Amino acid sequence: MEITQILFWFLSVLAVFGALMMVTSKNPVYSVLWLIVVFFAISGHYILLNAQFLAIVNIIVYAGAIMVLFLFVIMLMNLNAETEPQKNKWLKIAGVVAGCSLMLVFVAALRQSDELLKAPVSMGGETGLIKTLGKTLFTDYVLPFEISSVLFLSAMVGAVVIGKKGD
Amino acid sequence: MGAASLIVLILAAIAFSAGAILIAKVVTKATKNKQKAEPYESGIPTRGPSWVQFNVGYYLFALLFLIFDVELIFLYPWAVAAKKVGLLALVEIIIFFFILFMGFLYAHKKGALKWK
Amino acid sequence: MSIFFLLLQQELLLTAIIFVLLFVKLSTKQWNSQTVLSFVNILLVVNLAAGFFFKEKGTLFGDMFQTNDLLRFEKNILNLGTLLISLQAYNWLLKHKHAIEFYLLMLSTLLGMFFMLSSSNLLMFYVGLELASIPLAALANFDLDKKRSSEAAMKYIMSSAFASGLLLFGISLIYGMVGSVNFTDIAVAASENPLFLFGFILLIAGFGFKISAVPFHLWTADVYEGAPVAVTSYLSVISKGSMLFVMTSVLSTVFANLLFQWYNIVAVLAVLSMIVGNLFAIRQQNIKRFLAFSSISQVGFILIGMSGANIESHSSVVYFVLVYLFSNLAAFAVINVISEASGKENIDDYKGLYKTNPALTWVLAIALFSLAGIPPTAGFFGKFFLLLGGASKGNYLLIIVAALNMVISLYYYLRIIKAMFMDANETPVEKLAISWSPKISMAVCMAGIVVTGIISGAYEYIYSLLK
Repeated sequence: MEITQILFWFLSVLAVFGALMMVTSKNPVYSVLWLIVVFFAISGHYILLNAQFLAIVNIIVYAGAIMVLFLFVIMLMNLNAETEPQKNKWLKIAGVVAGCSLMLVFVAALRQSDELLKAPVSMGGETGLIKTLGKTLFTDYVLPFEISSVLFLSAMVGAVVIGKKGD
Repeated sequence: MGAASLIVLILAAIAFSAGAILIAKVVTKATKNKQKAEPYESGIPTRGPSWVQFNVGYYLFALLFLIFDVELIFLYPWAVAAKKVGLLALVEIIIFFFILFMGFLYAHKKGALKWK
Repeated sequence: MSIFFLLLQQELLLTAIIFVLLFVKLSTKQWNSQTVLSFVNILLVVNLAAGFFFKEKGTLFGDMFQTNDLLRFEKNILNLGTLLISLQAYNWLLKHKHAIEFYLLMLSTLLGMFFMLSSSNLLMFYVGLELASIPLAALANFDLDKKRSSEAAMKYIMSSAFASGLLLFGISLIYGMVGSVNFTDIAVAASENPLFLFGFILLIAGFGFKISAVPFHLWTADVYEGAPVAVTSYLSVISKGSMLFVMTSVLSTVFANLLFQWYNIVAVLAVLSMIVGNLFAIRQQNIKRFLAFSSISQVGFILIGMSGANIESHSSVVYFVLVYLFSNLAAFAVINVISEASGKENIDDYKGLYKTNPALTWVLAIALFSLAGIPPTAGFFGKFFLLLGGASKGNYLLIIVAALNMVISLYYYLRIIKAMFMDANETPVEKLAISWSPKISMAVCMAGIVVTGIISGAYEYIYSLLK
């Protein structure tokens, strides 16, 4: 096995394990910490795909800033292992059935698309590099870029209005 | 291959630091006593649960930080591509920053950055 | 350069209004709220009127943005609806401390919807959708001191984020199969490959959430009940209408190759929406919850029209959304006035309304007649065209189910009309003085219900746009 393949499997197992631990942890803070592990594993995948910029953004924004927000939400709502609500038994069963069906459909679809997946399309090694990305972002994709600033603005306005109810 | 070596480097760094801690754990003789488990040596013992409900203000700060964090991230590809794209890129980033700056002014005006 | 401004005219004007309002908010001068509201309403009228003056069509930024006559017309419909809601909300906003923010958020969502309508690839579509849904959660929280309102916002943002997640997963699968997010590329590459189909079904789930078709409708009633009336009407008419426009055109153009698959999905969604919406509407006590379920069943009818997949059915959907806008907003105008004055939102409170407020009663009655699809009103023609469009596929079972559901819906709409006109009530809503702005809004809605119904030009005009 090549080193990239070994890394791929290592990171994949780490990501899936982290995700499972995140879902099953009783303590929400542990969940958040496991989620950080997942993000790091996924950043590793981005690097393997030669998308360094995306990997760094994923770590800075997701593992850094958004995780802080998650922790704040947990502290805001004062969640901890004791306040974990008891879920209805039927809800659990329904969840398991729905999840398994989704898994089944997904696996079946993947198996049937075997041929397509065996012939991966290479977009050229340059695609994920910051130079190419910057150029496309500021020429072809400038409209979504500008719209995202309006989205930030409205998110800010909404958050401030709700957060500062008094005045 | 370059990418793989980067990951190997990261993993090696983790393994190195983890190894140092582990060796220290194995080699030293561990002692256990009550004082060691306290948060601060010779400090005041904590009272009540350490998990308390936070003020909503923290969240507002964190959200504003996140938005400007994302804004900053867009600067990296811009800085690299600005020369190639030319004047257009400058105009685009100025519009982007102007819109976000308006949001900042709004938050400032509403006193979202004041701590009460 | 000038073509850039002409093509983006509706979006740029809306952005300009947003920034003017932001400047007003940021200025050191304290504005009188009455002046501000009149100013905003004038801007919205200008915005609506300007939409009719330009006819340019084309694409911009490669293929990021497109516009044509139909899209312009659809955006004008949404502009009109926003103006009507703004007029209805006048009294509520007069007392509200954050009136300008209300408009900032509402117009940002409208801008998002415009970009979503004009998108010609999945990326733009997604960005527009997010802009159209995130500020809406803040809007749902605009009764700032009511817990119900916060609960509604929480439920909306949670389920909306989940639906966005499904949609994004679908988009990434489609991108993985096609190698492009472009609508034209996807239309060529659309095949019955299982992974592609899986992505497509997730995409429909995302659509279904936004239009609250039945398996994805669970958020609707709670959010509608908790949110302020103006926001509820915005959610049920503008947000839903824009998504219906996008869904109709995307399904019939981009996924034309998969007609067989999506016809069946849409038909099942339609039948479920009609039946569940109707059965739950019968047993509601709160009038906003009632209208939530009634709107779910209306979506069922629209989906029948959508399933026709030809020009006639496409224009019937656009036409019905226009009719639905007038009818539903007329109903919400009355609810808004009564809720604002007395805080009463139960159907029982509407008993004996005719004795005290005959004008409001008539407006609500005509709106409900139109929603039920009773002949002289526009609702009848709307539903007629929808069923005609759906029948072009020759699936008469679907049409029979729809016809039966129309009868059921007649029962519960008439129940409210009976309560208003005939039932006695010891403590009816007192006589209300209606101010000018809701009056204008109601008058426009009533005129719309009558005119779009009797003058057949509206449908033919939409049909001519599509050709």
